[in-house]
Amino acid sequence: MTWQTFLFIAVAAAAFGYSGYRFKILFNMMKMHQGKSSRLNLISERIMTAIVNVLGQKAVLKKKNAGIMHAIIFWGFIVITTGTLEQFATTLYAPANFEFIGQSAYKGLAFLQDFFTVAVLLAVFYACYRRFVVRPEGLGKSRDANIVLALTGSLMVSILLMNAFHILGLDPWYKHSLAFSNGIAQALSSLGLSPEAYTNLGTFFKWIHMGLVLGFAVYIPSSKHLHIVAAGPNTFLRTLPREKGMKPINFEDETVTQYGAAKITDLSWKDALDYYSCTECGRCQDLCPAHNTQKPLTPKMLILDLKENMYRNKEKLLAGKYEEISPIMDENVTEDVIWACTSCRACEIACPVFIEHTDKIYEIRRNLVMMESKFPAEVQSVFKNMETNASPWAFSAADRGNWAEGLAIKTMAEDANVDVLLWVGCAGSYDDRNKKVLKAFASLLKKAGVKFAILGTEEQCTGDPARRIGNEYLYQTLAKANIETLNRYAVKQIVTACPHCFNTIKNEYKDFGGQYEVHHHSQYIAKLIGEGKLKPTKGVDETVTFHDSCYLGRWNNVYDQPRDVIKSLPAVRLVEMKSNHDQSMCCGAGGGRMWMEETIGKRVNVARTEQALATKAGIIAASCPFCMTMMSDGVKTKDMQDKVRVMDIAELMDQATP
Amino acid sequence: MNIFVCIKQVPDTETKIKLNADATGIDSAGIKWIMSPFDEFAVEEGLRLKEKNAGSTVTVLSAGPARVVDTLRTALAMGADNGIHIELPENADNNMSAKALAGALKKEPQVDIVFMGKEAIDDGAAQVSQLTSEYMGIPCVTVALAVEYSATSVKCKREIEGGAFEMIEASLPALIAAQKGLNEPRYASLPNIMKAKKKEVKMLKAADVGVSDADQKIRYKGLQLPPPKPAGKKISGDPAAQAKELVRLLHEEAKVI
Repeated sequence: MTWQTFLFIAVAAAAFGYSGYRFKILFNMMKMHQGKSSRLNLISERIMTAIVNVLGQKAVLKKKNAGIMHAIIFWGFIVITTGTLEQFATTLYAPANFEFIGQSAYKGLAFLQDFFTVAVLLAVFYACYRRFVVRPEGLGKSRDANIVLALTGSLMVSILLMNAFHILGLDPWYKHSLAFSNGIAQALSSLGLSPEAYTNLGTFFKWIHMGLVLGFAVYIPSSKHLHIVAAGPNTFLRTLPREKGMKPINFEDETVTQYGAAKITDLSWKDALDYYSCTECGRCQDLCPAHNTQKPLTPKMLILDLKENMYRNKEKLLAGKYEEISPIMDENVTEDVIWACTSCRACEIACPVFIEHTDKIYEIRRNLVMMESKFPAEVQSVFKNMETNASPWAFSAADRGNWAEGLAIKTMAEDANVDVLLWVGCAGSYDDRNKKVLKAFASLLKKAGVKFAILGTEEQCTGDPARRIGNEYLYQTLAKANIETLNRYAVKQIVTACPHCFNTIKNEYKDFGGQYEVHHHSQYIAKLIGEGKLKPTKGVDETVTFHDSCYLGRWNNVYDQPRDVIKSLPAVRLVEMKSNHDQSMCCGAGGGRMWMEETIGKRVNVARTEQALATKAGIIAASCPFCMTMMSDGVKTKDMQDKVRVMDIAELMDQATP
Repeated sequence: MNIFVCIKQVPDTETKIKLNADATGIDSAGIKWIMSPFDEFAVEEGLRLKEKNAGSTVTVLSAGPARVVDTLRTALAMGADNGIHIELPENADNNMSAKALAGALKKEPQVDIVFMGKEAIDDGAAQVSQLTSEYMGIPCVTVALAVEYSATSVKCKREIEGGAFEMIEASLPALIAAQKGLNEPRYASLPNIMKAKKKEVKMLKAADVGVSDADQKIRYKGLQLPPPKPAGKKISGDPAAQAKELVRLLHEEAKVI
């Protein structure tokens, strides 16, 4: 054994020991979270998503330049690590090199290592250019990021210099595979040193490299670079499938005394893994409708603030002193932050490491509403209306079926032998503009010969607004009443024009005993067109732009059918807004925001309407009653109501169909 | 402090009122019952006063048929400590209700202050506060918008005609009838809703509080729904002609100018 072996054993043991100790603390903090999260369903899908998104970098590559940069560094990291491992092995025991894989494989590996060392170095230069010259807003300033870039760059330079000096000093047989290092070696040969001197320089840079690697290992646990350890598992443990429902609370369980998250520990271990995974890339923030209209919420800062709260409470957390842990709500996470969220889920869809922001906001809201009765004042009447009249708006439950008067639409009480139940929803029942949408859709169903009925006064609000605002108790009261009614009629097929009703009945009622096949009206109309039951023949000589509803698109992956319906209209021209599909911008009404005042910053609906108006389309097509309201208000705010109409896809279709 | 709040259960504001078969009352089938909104201000004020005075209790009272217990539970969920239900018939009038409430309050060992809404939104009579205070022999301040409390008295800001306000000082015990604006009633937290299910509601019969059928002073002979609103009239033409026609209609048909 040489002095190098001894030195390496001592330094590596110290570095890995300390690094391991720091990781153990992170793991323990994660374990001390009290909230529950179980994520070991769908194992084969999980393995697939990990392969595609971690090894394949799919989610990262959604953003082109930065994505390619990251993918190069990531793949480079994997390849170069083989070289680092060989360094460690040979330092411990000189003959333990990797040449046993065969000469040509070894040459190939050497070439790849050398290639990626240069590629990563170039990617680091690009990262520096982006961070210091382009300076995207979402990235922000970060000393941590600068340190990581400096370390990564130094690692690459040390490898190249090590290889170059070894080529000059040791003249390895595979030197021509190290194309770039060999080039550098040729340039450095003008130094004219002895082979021993070159070899010593090579050894020196090898130690620099190994030292940097070990330093990195110690640094990572306290850095955003922790994502290299956490993001893989976080991707594997992401919520699957995409159509996720909110976690139900069991109110029968009397051992539960805390509803929602008051303290960081009320969240789950997965939330902590989310903080560890965050790379602070800012993609969530770039697409956030709240942040983009000057609200104090940014999804990125929320994650970092929660992480900071966790670290601040580290000692108490590790000691299990839950009662001493400071509350989540503090000078960073304020009520304005928590209520600004429209639950549009743009942040989650944008996140390359599958952090789930909305889950945390929902849990925090649950605590505020159910434990502390804290919410925007205007929401109180929403809750009361839902409690007494089963509608967020103050209308009599007795009037729920009035919109259908004179349309010869039967109720389930009159005839339950139907193809499909038309779930009207509160907006369709009470809001004058949206009543017209329901009338158009009912007309289409008749034209297509579909046998349908409504629940009339037996329908109640699905409870969705209460749930998104945090009043799970009220939600469950309404959901259970509706499920009781639906099951009494043995309903199997449901169609609704409201994506919020659609989402909760489809994805969330099953937790309370309601299993139905639920269709959004865009899907249903598209199906009827496909079956030849609806034949739009009257031309609509207009340019139409389609506004994606968040609860249809991002929450339920329905992007194509509403567009298919529009494209089926003769003479129509469909144009896309600047942000569309999963990059679409929320209208501002989701997450219960429909019933809250918007007093900070620019109005979300106006910002979105401006995007729609920029297309010069004559019609803004919607597929959601709340979007309808918000976009119509936006058009009026911009004083464009004489030139631009906001119409539901059902209305467009009904007009075009004789 | 021993704080008492009298509340009334009324049909929800969105209820479509229907008359019963002999038109002597309303048909209660399908009605959603709520706490009269003015009484919510009264409950909130009682709770705030309790929170400022450690060791206080808030007791809520309601007179009416068995269903009013649900509304007492609503007040208990907001944070009241216990409830008293005085069983009265469906159509009890203001006098009978007031006498029953006062009778129940007089049975209490100590009453420091009583709150109730300035009126109930069903009959809108605004009688029970004054009648109750008369039966109890304590001062009464109605339409209270703000109250300052001291150990032995209260100073109330109350609304009077013409958009003006007056300040009234009353010695305790006193009855205060709340106007909208006195406070913002709280929304019951879930732990309090759960706790409310287990809180005690004392039951009293009319006879227990000295009330008999003779205390019913109003007998309803017949009720009528208001006539349906006639359809609106749309005036067309240029603005000048429209204004002229509007003035003519207001003057000749509506006879308001």
